[in-house]
Amino acid sequence: MSAAPDPMPVAVAAARRPEAWLWVLAMVAALVVAVRANYVADLSAFLPAAPTAEQRVLLEQLRSGVTSRILLVGIRGGRSEKRVAASQAMAAALRSSGEFRSVDNGDTSAYGEAGQFLFDHRYLLSPAIDARRFTVDGLREGIDDTVALLGTPAGTLMKPVLWRDPTGETIRLAEAMLPAQAPRSEGGVWVSRSEPRALLVLTMRAEGDDLDGQARAIEAVRRAFAAAAGSDGMQLEISGLGVFAVQARAQIRGEIERLATAGTAAIIALLFVVFGSWRALLVGTLPVASGVLAGIAAVSLGFGRVHGVTLGFGTTLIGEAVDYAIYFLIQSRPAAGLSTGRGRGYEAWVAGKWPTVRLGLWTSLAGFSALVFSGFPGLAQLGVFSLAGLVAAALTTRYVLPLLAPDGAAALGLRGSLGRATSRAAAWLPRRRVLVVAVVAAAVAALAHEPAAWRGNLAALSPVPPDALKLDASLRADLAAAEAGILVAVEGADEGQVLQRAEAAGARLDALVRDGALLGYSSPANLLPSPATQRARAAALPSREVLTANLVQATQDGPLPFERLGPFIDDVESERGLPAITRRDLASTPLAAALDAQLVSPRGRGPWTALINLQLPPSAPGAQAGDSEPGLSDGNRLRAALAGLPDTRIVEVQRELDALYARYLREAQWQAAVGALVIVILLGAYLRSATRLLRVLVPLAASEILVLAGFAVAHAALGVLHLVGLLLVVAVGSNYALFFDHLRERGDADADTLASLFVANLTTVISFGLLATSDVPALSAVGMVVAPGAALALVLSAALIGVKPRAESAAHG
Amino acid sequence: MRTSEPRRPRSGGRAARLRRAAWRALLVAAATVPVAVAHAFDLDELMRILADVRSADATFIERRTVNQIGRTLESAGRLSYRAPDTFTRETLRPHRDKLAVSGNIVTMSQGDRSRTMELDAAPEAQVMIEAIRGTLTGNRSLLERHFEVRLEGPAESWLLELVPRDVRLRGQVAQLRVSGRQARIREVDVRMADGDHSEMLIEPAISPAP
Repeated sequence: MSAAPDPMPVAVAAARRPEAWLWVLAMVAALVVAVRANYVADLSAFLPAAPTAEQRVLLEQLRSGVTSRILLVGIRGGRSEKRVAASQAMAAALRSSGEFRSVDNGDTSAYGEAGQFLFDHRYLLSPAIDARRFTVDGLREGIDDTVALLGTPAGTLMKPVLWRDPTGETIRLAEAMLPAQAPRSEGGVWVSRSEPRALLVLTMRAEGDDLDGQARAIEAVRRAFAAAAGSDGMQLEISGLGVFAVQARAQIRGEIERLATAGTAAIIALLFVVFGSWRALLVGTLPVASGVLAGIAAVSLGFGRVHGVTLGFGTTLIGEAVDYAIYFLIQSRPAAGLSTGRGRGYEAWVAGKWPTVRLGLWTSLAGFSALVFSGFPGLAQLGVFSLAGLVAAALTTRYVLPLLAPDGAAALGLRGSLGRATSRAAAWLPRRRVLVVAVVAAAVAALAHEPAAWRGNLAALSPVPPDALKLDASLRADLAAAEAGILVAVEGADEGQVLQRAEAAGARLDALVRDGALLGYSSPANLLPSPATQRARAAALPSREVLTANLVQATQDGPLPFERLGPFIDDVESERGLPAITRRDLASTPLAAALDAQLVSPRGRGPWTALINLQLPPSAPGAQAGDSEPGLSDGNRLRAALAGLPDTRIVEVQRELDALYARYLREAQWQAAVGALVIVILLGAYLRSATRLLRVLVPLAASEILVLAGFAVAHAALGVLHLVGLLLVVAVGSNYALFFDHLRERGDADADTLASLFVANLTTVISFGLLATSDVPALSAVGMVVAPGAALALVLSAALIGVKPRAESAAHG
Repeated sequence: MRTSEPRRPRSGGRAARLRRAAWRALLVAAATVPVAVAHAFDLDELMRILADVRSADATFIERRTVNQIGRTLESAGRLSYRAPDTFTRETLRPHRDKLAVSGNIVTMSQGDRSRTMELDAAPEAQVMIEAIRGTLTGNRSLLERHFEVRLEGPAESWLLELVPRDVRLRGQVAQLRVSGRQARIREVDVRMADGDHSEMLIEPAISPAP
């Protein structure tokens, strides 16, 4: 796809013909766009556009939320004390590396400063604050609760601040902010409950779409581990969407290079063997190069970015688009004995063969246009890429190639013997029709016995290997990471409104916690109450005189003497005038990372989202990581509890994802069916004969059946991309069937046309065969369907349509 | 309520080992505690008789001395234990609150507030709870995982001394002393590192008919 057109003939031709000028201009424009295009290779192509609000919340998190910036790190093996020491050393190194917004390893000793800020605002933040809190009774109760903790480990927190905070707001604050589920703590750091492993949670500064930044941060983790662990027999385990994305990018990039290089080399070698001429080779690659350029430019203009996977598919366009050049170069050779003069060979081709090629193009376009409407950006890009690429390649073949090689390619290389061999095969195949029919019948029987297993899920599309997913699940389980199967998403117009709505949802959830239906929940409003709530609390703070009078009464005969509580009165007084704190005020504290994860500001316009993680009791189904079916009764109970709250939704993660992919599979099946129908209509309209239409359709249908039967017999599940592959088989195969139909109608099949079909098929099989070897599931799925499908389409067209090879050619055999 | 048969030492070899251990314990006790020991009694034996108790209900009175406010605070309430791992402490006066532990889940309630957390995520709480639960269940390995364990005295008046193994925890809870008579726990004393100190006296309750 990188072969440059030979500039000289183009220039000469361009001087003669306006269409050549147009072509040069279009190619230059496409080149400019392609060079300036934004190439990405993250996981975005595998994340569909989300139709429902629940799914939008989910995918937004996967795409750009804090979820995409979190790394889960495990230090495994070695001795327990060594792991603890390594965790502390790594955390210190990573905190000073500047790559991370937060580094959590369970060690809270570094939180002093944030603690001070929160303490200084405790009367705005503590959920216990209302007007009653500062009455004589309220003060007495608060003091009693605090004193009940003194002399126990739980009171240790209160001792240093007792005289400033006798009602224990510090404890209330800590209770509100700490999640109910936390990792096991040992030696002051987080450790696994089930494995010899210390744990860290990191939030990278780099956003989900800044893969270079994320790669840098991941590298910093590896360096910090190497420095901290030395050679004590410990291993680093690291997971997270960022890790997947960076690995996928490296993999996709490697694959594209490999596929493009191998594909180009194989096709060039084949063309050279067939034509034996450099000039033919250059002319032959021109439609391909035009097609790829046009495809990239169209995708870049249409989507703003070009995904690596699209380029990976683009390499297969080599196989499709080079067909046009092959048809032209072989078929335009002036037939022996005809009176057309030298330099006029293309005229016969344009008149005789172009309509067939054009019809093949239309059918291909009909097939690919189904993809354009796909909800998967990856597939939609592929559709646009293919449409633009095929149109450009066909137009280049039709209007530019006649100027460069008016008589096709010289009869050198293997063409002669190739023609004889294909003629022999074309004569032999129809005689084995019974065998072919038997094989197809067997395939139908196999499919009836064991229908193809269609499955739509993320795992089948994403290039993340199963081992990596297993490690991820195990780290998440250890960390009790906010990865519950179920969460509540609340939307609001701005920070204040969304927090207020989260508070309303929290009030409903509190009831479930009291009943034991929930262990707890973590809401952003627990970390940062809404401005309205904070203002209400500030308004509830009494004046110095009132507080003093009440406190004198409340402390009478109580455990704390009034005389020592002066600092308390001062603190309440100083907080009376404080403005409500906002997310920005918390930005430099360790709370920021937790808050960012749960309070999602819109990128540009759109609603703010608060995510409330629910902690289900261990007995309830759905509490375990990887359990995909949260208890229905719980779901219903939750729904009932939250009923009537504005823009408040329950998101059951696994169920939504499954629903999403199942939906896209169904949608893609519909689109494919519509595409197939359009192809049939097109063929019918052109052929104007039910017999001919049937003749063309039968080999195509038979090829699809054989491929499907192969997958069914191999017990391989089929996904959206296999469907794309089947569509491609129809698009590519219809060319062969149409040519055989054309030859049969004409009454004689010349060796050149047959040879061109064979070479065209070979290029397709080679390029899709290469794709089938890819480690990227999305690419290999298409390759594994199209490579055998295209070969079958040619063989079955030859066998079932049946042509009479021209006597003189057959005579050679 | 299920009650299991007390288990007894079976083999002569084991008895001999017990005797040897008992002699050692006696020598240690004689060297450290100037009290005559009537009967050889070791940790395994204590654990065994404690493990045989499948459920228990008791009342308690706790006196806690808090230096910071120069006072001794008194509280009282109920304790209950159900094998294998459920333990609750309900304070009735001066104010009601409740601490319930089951497995790794701790629930604390005060008035209409209730909070649940995982025990092993909060080592300070864990050390206090496992001291009592480990003793109640007669789980020697659980006790020894968290504490240096030392037993003194005869079965009629034993004293279990527990010192947290973790240095950081020792910085908060210096020592726990659990004492009792046979399978009955009579007192739990906690000495905090900062000098605060509490004694909890435990009396068996007439448990309601099962």
